[in-house]
Formats: sequence, structure tokens, C-alpha cells
Amino acid sequence: MGINTEKTNMPFEIKDCALISRMAGIDTAINLRELRERLLICPVECLFHHFSETLIRPTFDDPEYRNDFAIWASRNLRDRVLAERLGIINPYALDSFETLRAVLVDIVDERLSEVPFIPWVEKGEDFRFMRAVTVVFHTHRKLFAPEDLRSQLSRMSLSSIYYHFVEARRRTEDGSDDFTAWLAGFGTGTGVMIDALKGIDFYFLTLFELKRQLISVLERATSAEPTYEKST
Amino acid sequence: MKRVLKDYEPLAGSNAVSQLKQLARDLVGAKVVHVNSTKAGGGVAEILGWLVPLMNDLGLDTSWEIVQGHSEYFQVTKAFHNGLQGNNATLTQRMLEVYEETLTDNANRLRIVLENADFVFIHDPQPAGLLERCNDRSGKWIWRCHIDASHPNRKVWNYLKGKVSAYDASIFSMPDFAQPLVHPQFIIAPSIDPLSDKNCELTETEINNTLQELGIPHDLPILVQISRFDRFKDPIGLIKAFTLLNSSVDARLVLAGGGATDDPEGDAVLEEVKDAAGKNDRIHVLLLPADAHRTINALQRSASIVFQKSTQEGFGLTVTEGMWKGKPVIGGNVGGIRLQVHNHYTGYLVNTPEGAALRARELLRNPVKRERMGLTAQRFVAENFLLTRHLREYLTLMSGLRRGLANYLVAS
Repeated sequence: MGINTEKTNMPFEIKDCALISRMAGIDTAINLRELRERLLICPVECLFHHFSETLIRPTFDDPEYRNDFAIWASRNLRDRVLAERLGIINPYALDSFETLRAVLVDIVDERLSEVPFIPWVEKGEDFRFMRAVTVVFHTHRKLFAPEDLRSQLSRMSLSSIYYHFVEARRRTEDGSDDFTAWLAGFGTGTGVMIDALKGIDFYFLTLFELKRQLISVLERATSAEPTYEKST
Repeated sequence: MKRVLKDYEPLAGSNAVSQLKQLARDLVGAKVVHVNSTKAGGGVAEILGWLVPLMNDLGLDTSWEIVQGHSEYFQVTKAFHNGLQGNNATLTQRMLEVYEETLTDNANRLRIVLENADFVFIHDPQPAGLLERCNDRSGKWIWRCHIDASHPNRKVWNYLKGKVSAYDASIFSMPDFAQPLVHPQFIIAPSIDPLSDKNCELTETEINNTLQELGIPHDLPILVQISRFDRFKDPIGLIKAFTLLNSSVDARLVLAGGGATDDPEGDAVLEEVKDAAGKNDRIHVLLLPADAHRTINALQRSASIVFQKSTQEGFGLTVTEGMWKGKPVIGGNVGGIRLQVHNHYTGYLVNTPEGAALRARELLRNPVKRERMGLTAQRFVAENFLLTRHLREYLTLMSGLRRGLANYLVAS
């Protein structure tokens, strides 16, 4: 069974990626005012690392918050109010990581105006600004038709899903994921699949949970798509 | 036994192995040399024991060299080691001369292989001075620091900084351990080999036989700390914790470790530990040979709780090993232990002998909680600290270095 699409499209090349974390070369922040200063000057790659690459680097998979700033505010500054305000930020709801920087600084400014003293941490608990080097490589596997996406997802590694569904939003002009961009290339016929992908609130999922949800929503979406027998 | 990547597929998954092969395509044929100071004893030798053959299996031309030296040289490098960990360390002119002379001898012996390598990984401070003696080097040199260097003795660090600044990059086990340097600093957490003698599955019979051979009755819950006899591992603090615990819960404590050829203080610390244990027949102090991996495996598997009550720690591979065997870990709230032990999930972080005794009592009284934590710990290691992840990060680093460390690269 296949999905009836308006036109054909180029095959989708499944890629994978590996990441290695590195120090950003910026002084650590030992209090909230220093954090604000460093947020203003750190490369945008740092913000991406502390918000998005947390998904893919080795870490305990059940953290309280999804971004490192909120975790630091909670665990080290012991400022639950700040942690909650930082924790709710979804970077993908913003138009760019520069906007994210402005939002972060605004939240920190607000907190600094509320507290009677500058929140600080003990020596050794400083916030350390990091970034990463990402190496992308071919898996030499391809998708040819929309239904292949559903069937091949279970074979994809978590880092491959990260690359195509999460990291893509940094690469693409409209901030969409690679799967959606490819499906859109078939014209009409893949709308239900695209809507299903857009409906995933992935920021609060682990990659394992994201993979499971992708498979689940595409299974539902493709069973709802009008289908036809594929001609050979 | 030499293992190949395929052997790891059942544990790490076919995707993990496939990723390594894809990444390595970019590096096939590259000459890689690892240099450290011992082939037996300690976490670094263990890591290189699997890393080198697996890199070769992926098509990289990889070798492992060690620096050779007399006991005086290892006294100096032990002072470096202690100094990097923040301990007081005296560096005399004579000590520095011994270090420099030994490195010159080693550079003369290793120069050809080092200068022809595409990548040279220098592990820890012992061989750090080799770079400045290889003027015709053509490859990338990376200093791999396995030690918690977050609060180094300034005199020691200033000296070593002069040695490592000229490297192309350095690697630390945790962001907290990194020191400001002029070159890029990468973070790679260590890992364990799940198929090694130290971590593979054992039968109950083998575990029981091992305990019998060591003279440890299996009549009470066993608490185990595996580590070199080193003051930073706080064996005396653990004995104090056990004494506190044993007034309310019956158990046995096993303190076991091997010596390392590059650790001249081990004998003295072992004597201190034996003195502290005194005539308590529930405390078993064992000096094991460097190759007693299956014995260590059996001890960890026999344990109800694994301890690593360090006051300073690099990464703490014994923590990873214990967790891989499904044991909750009570560890010192330091270094890489904090990366692995998550309070109430995989074990407990403690700061004092009293804290260690309290948490041990809690876990010994609650077997359901112990089992749940152990399972969480095992899954955490499976997802993050197996050697496939470690190897992937080395390959990523090499690929990145070769391509100028742009943030975003496409490997062929």
C-alpha cells in the first residue's frame, strides 16, 4: 500500500551525527549577574548546546528541566523561581536563538530586580559554558516514498532522529524539520503526515520518547491517508 | 582475548556499531599512537586495553606506547598526580631534572613513531613533556587528562601547563575538571568494556568460589569498595562508616585493590588501612594482583552495595562497574562520581563517614529499593558509559580536528 501523492520527490538521504562537547572558552559564571554578562556575549552555539544538545550528550535522562540554565538555577543557585521561569522556555517556539538570548537575559534581569542580593554559588559550582562539534555522516540508506519514513523510523538511531527532527530546525530557513520539508516536496497527499509531525511537542521528550512518538503519530496518520496501490 | 566491534552489538545495539563504522570511514589508515605510563593497573591502562584494538578493528593504524622510567621518575609523576588533584606537592629542581631526563630518553626511543603519527594521544602528566621533544611532528597532539584537575596545586599546574599548552587540544573527563588553556578543551567521559573479565557475566558458582578462595564468608550482606590503596579513595573513612553501620546492621566490608606500577605510595596506605581494620574479622582488606579482573568482578557482583567513598576522584570507573552489575552505589560527592550517582535514582552521594553509614543502613534495610536503584543504575550505564560511546567521541574528535574544528562538518 502506498500514499497517493501529487508528484514524485528526490529520495531522502538518512544521515546520522555524532557530537563532542567542548568548553566554550568563556569564563564561568559564579553568580546570576555574571551569568547575565556571559549570556550577552556567548556564541549562539552555546545557547543551542545548553538548550538542544542536552538531548544527545551523555546524561541522566530524567532531569528536572530540559535546559542547563534551569538545572543550574535549581541545583546550584537553589532558586526555584528562576529555575521554573527558565525551564518553561521552548527555544523552538521562538524565531531564532538570538531571540532566545534576549528572552534569557530578560528573565535574569527580572529575577535580579526581585531578589535582595545577587544569588551566587559555591566555588566549583559555577556555570560552565559549553558548545559542541558535530560531525554529520551518511548512513547510505534512503527513503523513496512517504510510507518509507514510517517503516524506516524504527531502524534509525536516536542521533539520526535528533539530526533530522531536532537539529534541522537550526539549519533550515523556516525552522522546520527535515522530514516535514521532504514530505512537503510531494505536494498534496502528505498533509496528514506533516500535520502529525507538527503536532509533536518534542522539547520535553527524551530522544527515545521522541522516536516512539514519531512512529506512533505516523502510523496513525498513514492509516488515515487516502492510499492507492503503487504501480510498478 | 581480543575482541572485535561485532562482539558488542548484542549489548550496545547494531546502530551504535554501525555509527562507529560510518564515522571511522573518514579516518581509515590514520596512524594513531596512545602513550601512557603503565600497561597494567589503573583505569587508563584498562581503557587503552580495549580502545587500541577496537580502533584497529575500525581500520585506524593504532599503537600503544608507554614511557619507561626508574622509581625516582614515578615519585615525581606521583607528585604531579597528587598536585593536579589539589594535594600539596613539593617540586624540587632535582625532581624536575629527573622528569626532563626521563622524557628525553623516552622521546629518543619513541621519536620516529610519534613524529610520523597523524594523531598522538598523551595520557595524563607522565608523558606530557614528549611533545616539546618531537619538533618534526606532523600530526595532531592531544593531551588526555584523566585526573580531576579542577583545583590543582598552582606550582604543579604552572609547570605542567607549560608542557601541555602547545598541544592541539586537550580532553578532560568532566567540564568541572578543565583548566583554562589556549587550545580547545573537549569533554569525554570514560567508559567500561562490558565484555571484559571485569564486567562480563559470571555464574553464581564462580562468584561463590571466588569468595571462598578469598576467605570471605557469604553469611552477611557484603559491602565492597574496589580501588587502589590511595588516601584520596578514603579507605579509612569507609572503615569508620562501616564501624558506625555495624553497630546496627550486620554486614561485611571488603576493601580490595591492586597496586599500580606508577603508584609508589600504595604500600604505605595499605598498611594504614590494615591498622585501621585492626582485628575486626568482618573487614576484609585484600591486595589483589593487577590482573585479578575476574576476582574484582565476582566481588562487585557479590555485593549488596558498592562503595566509592573518595574525597577526590577522576571519573570513578569502579562506580560505573558497580552500576553495570546492577548495584546501587554510595559514593563521595566529588568528581565524576557526581556524574554517575544520582541521589535516590542510582545511589547516594555522601560527604562523611556518617552519611555513608546512614545510606548503607537505609539500603540494607530496604531490598526492594536497592534492587530498583540497581536496575536504574545498570540502564544508565548501558545508555551512557559503555565503550561504544567513548570510542564514538574519540572518532568525532579526530574527525573534527582533521577538518579544523568547524562546528558543523560532513564526513565522507
